[in-house]
Amino acid sequence: MRFELLQPGSLAQALEMKKDYREGAKILAGGTDLLVLLKDGKLRAQAVMSLGRLSELNFIRSEGERGVAIGALVSHSDVAASRIIQQRCPDLAEACAQVGAAQIQNLGTLGGNLCNASPAADAAPPLLLMDALLTLASARGERRVAIHDFFLGPRRTVLEPDEILKEIFVPQPAGRRGATYLKLGRRKAMEIAIVGVGVAIHLNGSDRIVSECRIAMSSVAPTPLRARRGEAVFTNQEIRDGLIEEAAEVAAEEASPISDVRATRGYRLDMIRVLCRRAAREALARARNHKAEGWR
Amino acid sequence: MKIPVTLKVNGETYDLIIAPYRTLLDVLREEIHLTGSKKGCDAGDCGACTVLLDGKPVNACLVLAATAQDREILTIEGLARNGKLHPLQEAFVREGAVQCGFCTPGILMSLKALLDTNPAPTLEEIKIAMAGNLCRCTGYSKMFKAVESLDRSP
Repeated sequence: MRFELLQPGSLAQALEMKKDYREGAKILAGGTDLLVLLKDGKLRAQAVMSLGRLSELNFIRSEGERGVAIGALVSHSDVAASRIIQQRCPDLAEACAQVGAAQIQNLGTLGGNLCNASPAADAAPPLLLMDALLTLASARGERRVAIHDFFLGPRRTVLEPDEILKEIFVPQPAGRRGATYLKLGRRKAMEIAIVGVGVAIHLNGSDRIVSECRIAMSSVAPTPLRARRGEAVFTNQEIRDGLIEEAAEVAAEEASPISDVRATRGYRLDMIRVLCRRAAREALARARNHKAEGWR
Repeated sequence: MKIPVTLKVNGETYDLIIAPYRTLLDVLREEIHLTGSKKGCDAGDCGACTVLLDGKPVNACLVLAATAQDREILTIEGLARNGKLHPLQEAFVREGAVQCGFCTPGILMSLKALLDTNPAPTLEEIKIAMAGNLCRCTGYSKMFKAVESLDRSP
């Protein structure tokens, strides 16, 4: 592991450097993935650009009714401990609290989790449920990309060689909503998800009618993804026996898991169904509990 | 090309000239000769290298030393004060919460960070705080007992 270390003091300076170095400079946020890859020789870098000094990207800001803006460099532990996030996106707080363990959560960042583009990224399902918008910055300017369009494949994103992820914006969903993220591993910590499933349920006035449902999954395809046909099973439906089970079946059909060191394809498909059912029941309970306007 | 880096470790300032790609763990052990932080996996999996960075536990093997400049670094060597062991260390000795000892420094740093923010943790909270530290001797029970034996009165 040998490289030149760049330590820009501001985002503007970082973007200028990225313009010059392009792929030659790998971005170092928390380092929990990048340094492991570099040490293993799985990745080589002429230069590594540490964003550690860009305190301007380390914020969680409520924008009232519009939503919440999260700087790309906020650590998993700060996301999980944030009152704003716990109140408004409890499933995101749950996901970040399940990354590695304390040491990894203190180093690893929300932006890094997304840019690393692991199919198993824990933060991805909750952000997919909320239609998060990512601000990608370059010396040329900024653009906003929906998280649905961000991932291209394992370790591949739409980030251009001169771009840096700056901010994650989570729009406020309307009405009564409940959401959760469940992660399956062989142990409770220091684990990469065998399967991860997030479910959000929106209720329309009545406790029995689901106006909208969202299902997002990780570790079941080349990228984290939504199970849109599984979601549609719930749309404008009254909760009845078998509805949750049916949606879980359909969601599993949308996944294309592989067999690898962590689990077989068949086991993953079974566990998608189990986690979908559990997450849907919990999301429904949370939505029913959600009396006040605003979001949970 | 080596670069100048100033590290604040256990309250002392160290002016170093190091390669930019060296980890905090290697620099602590090989340049500052503080060998209490152990290198187990060197990949962030085992927790044997846990140190506190601005009061929070991190894997020193996943931090570039140059990026720890100007931050407060606390290692196991800084846990005892004025020749007196930290109450956690006393408790580990009292309860015999040490087997081979390789994981002990990292575990003590994780627990120190826990107690700094939560002086009376539940068993579940202790387990969560230690979840990033592996003990290959599997001697966890006595460690839990050691923490629980501490005086928890506020």
